[in-house]
Amino acid sequence: MDFSDILASSIHDIKNSLGLILNNLDELIADPDNHLANPRQASLLQHEAQRANSNLIQLLNLYKLGNGQLAVHIAEHNLDDFLEEVIADSQAVCNALGLDLSYTCDPGLTGYFDAELIRSVLDSTIGNARRYARQTILLSADSQDGYLVIRVEDDGAGFPGQLPQWLSDENEQTLNSTDPSSDPSRTRLGIYFAARIAQQHKTPERMGKICLKNGHTLKGGCFELWLP
Amino acid sequence: MADVFSQKHYLVIDDFSDMRAAIRSILRSLGVNQIDQARDGNDAIAQMAKKRFDVVLCDYNLGPGKDGQQVLEEARHRQLIGVDCIFIMVTAENTREMVMSAAEYAPDSYLAKPFTKELLKNRLDKLFERKAHLAKVNKALMSKDYGAAIGELDQLIASSPKNLADLLKLKTEICLTANRYDEARAVYEQVLAAREIVWARLGMGKVLYWGKEYAQAQETFRQLIALDPNLIAAYDWLAKTQTAQQQFAAAEQTIQNAIQLSPRGLKRQQLLGDLALSNGHIQEAETAFGHAVALAKHSILNHPSLFASWARSKSSNKKHVEALKIIGEIDKKFPDMPEATFYKATATASVKQHLGDSTGAQEALRTAEQVMAQFSEISNSRLALDMVKTYAQLGEQEKAISLLQASIANNHDDDEFLTEVVRVCHEANVEYDAEKAIRDIQRNVVKTNNAGVRLIKQGEFDAAIKLLREAAEEMPGNKTINLNAAKAIIMKMEKMGSANEDIQTILRYVGRVQSVAPNDWRLNDILSRLRKLAPKV
Repeated sequence: MDFSDILASSIHDIKNSLGLILNNLDELIADPDNHLANPRQASLLQHEAQRANSNLIQLLNLYKLGNGQLAVHIAEHNLDDFLEEVIADSQAVCNALGLDLSYTCDPGLTGYFDAELIRSVLDSTIGNARRYARQTILLSADSQDGYLVIRVEDDGAGFPGQLPQWLSDENEQTLNSTDPSSDPSRTRLGIYFAARIAQQHKTPERMGKICLKNGHTLKGGCFELWLP
Repeated sequence: MADVFSQKHYLVIDDFSDMRAAIRSILRSLGVNQIDQARDGNDAIAQMAKKRFDVVLCDYNLGPGKDGQQVLEEARHRQLIGVDCIFIMVTAENTREMVMSAAEYAPDSYLAKPFTKELLKNRLDKLFERKAHLAKVNKALMSKDYGAAIGELDQLIASSPKNLADLLKLKTEICLTANRYDEARAVYEQVLAAREIVWARLGMGKVLYWGKEYAQAQETFRQLIALDPNLIAAYDWLAKTQTAQQQFAAAEQTIQNAIQLSPRGLKRQQLLGDLALSNGHIQEAETAFGHAVALAKHSILNHPSLFASWARSKSSNKKHVEALKIIGEIDKKFPDMPEATFYKATATASVKQHLGDSTGAQEALRTAEQVMAQFSEISNSRLALDMVKTYAQLGEQEKAISLLQASIANNHDDDEFLTEVVRVCHEANVEYDAEKAIRDIQRNVVKTNNAGVRLIKQGEFDAAIKLLREAAEEMPGNKTINLNAAKAIIMKMEKMGSANEDIQTILRYVGRVQSVAPNDWRLNDILSRLRKLAPKV
């Protein structure tokens, strides 16, 4: 057993603890008999615990990717169903933080991807957006130039640095020195993970990629996931 | 909407009481009030045996004993849950690959821990909707009426719903079960024309395999593995194809590779053991059968043949004492199973022969013969192959060959079984040209069968019935002959009225097929026609 194996198995353990913390927090908040002086504090706890959880998932998946053990199950999915489920997971926390989380897409739109992996990319992106959004987080999906494009936008101050920034396999270099990550609060891990997972989605001609820009339909940051 | 949740019975299976409590409280908050819980696999199975559940939430990791996959296998295998039950496998990050590489018995959905109440509600809503959407298809599937199931699916598909891809996939799975390979192929081609999709490409390989286009099938599976070296199913099918082409060494290597990725598959370990024996790799065989026995410990698929194979391979490696000890466990593990006595006897014969105790070996062999004779005339094709190996080892070539011939005649159109016949001859060094024998016997059986079918078409029912009944008595385990004999009598009754004696004969033939292949795609047609003639059946 080398150190990375020990790390991986510790992460599982931490994740299990976090799971129970999250479940109990849920109950604590949902129980009308509990009177919290500042309910927002509990929601912030939830928000941070969810972020920690999605970070751990990313670490584990990157660990498996590094060992060639990450199995990618690409299948066709309906985006309306998929995004509905993605926002369901974050809805309670967003409500409590006073943020409006919603999605738009054509009910008939479908795309090809590994639902579990893309969900974890979106979970962590929404987790980040929660920190920057003033009032609104918007998810959307449509098809563009033969790609499925999934966007997560917020109405915050937006990404710093040179934009738009494309991150894909060809510019592994930029991946390692991405500008947005120079802002310590926007973690490098999330961006790196998203780009690596996007790359796992490929056709003979094309490969998945991500793009960061500002002011798409909302005025803040816009994270784009392009899947072939 | 709350009613959808509140009226249903839920079972929560997890070995941690905190986790059970957490899931229970999530369910309660969704309006669910009928929740049972189980703390391990045995507990879960016991509860499912007593009560029908609508939704089962099962953690994959259940500590010592059965894991979640084994719970699902046993529940489906023993039909404790039907197609209308929703089985959700709760997974942690470290079990995702393990769970998803299980080829058979897939759950309705996976749920990664931890999950919020909103996510579970959303997922359950979708699954209830899906079950309702597929209600007619599932009803047809429960009565094994595959034609009707495909018809219902086609209607759903024609309305191009949101879940079109799922429906197409389901259709191909039913088509493969019903031997409707051309229809499955058409769907695969349609899907692949739009996009390279793994399940469709894999399905294409399967259709090629069933169509005996082995070279192309191999190429397909190889390409899939090249694209995704973690795709276990492609290894399984590649090995199957290689075995059909008698490339036993290559097949062994393929399965070995699959096992490195996914060591917990019981059938895969057993297959590796068999293939290793075909290649004279007795050390590898011993290891593989040892793994199989360990994996089978908590599984519904546990079987005395695993112990027998392990004991025989131990003995081949000169570990006779250990081998006898393993044989000694068979009675303890399978106290109420007639097959156990048989496997115990053949394994004993084999070990004693290795030990040079030919009297003891003969004695055990006679016991095996006696037990085999007590079995119904049809269920013993697999036993027969084990017997063939034992006869061959003890030098009784003629008996081995006559058993082989009967087995081939009983299964003349079952390509997988015939492949196994060839493999066993190879493994046991039987001096017998199995392939030529298969061709000859097939020719004769097909000739008889076709003559019978022709007579039916000409309306000469009595002649057809006579011919097919004689053949059915000669080959009591042959599904096609039995079904055609039954069909001939039914067609006669449809024209000339039913007779009780004929109905009994039909039931006997149908019963033979049901006992060896309860899911045979041809059974439903015969049974539903019989019910029209004799509503009481």
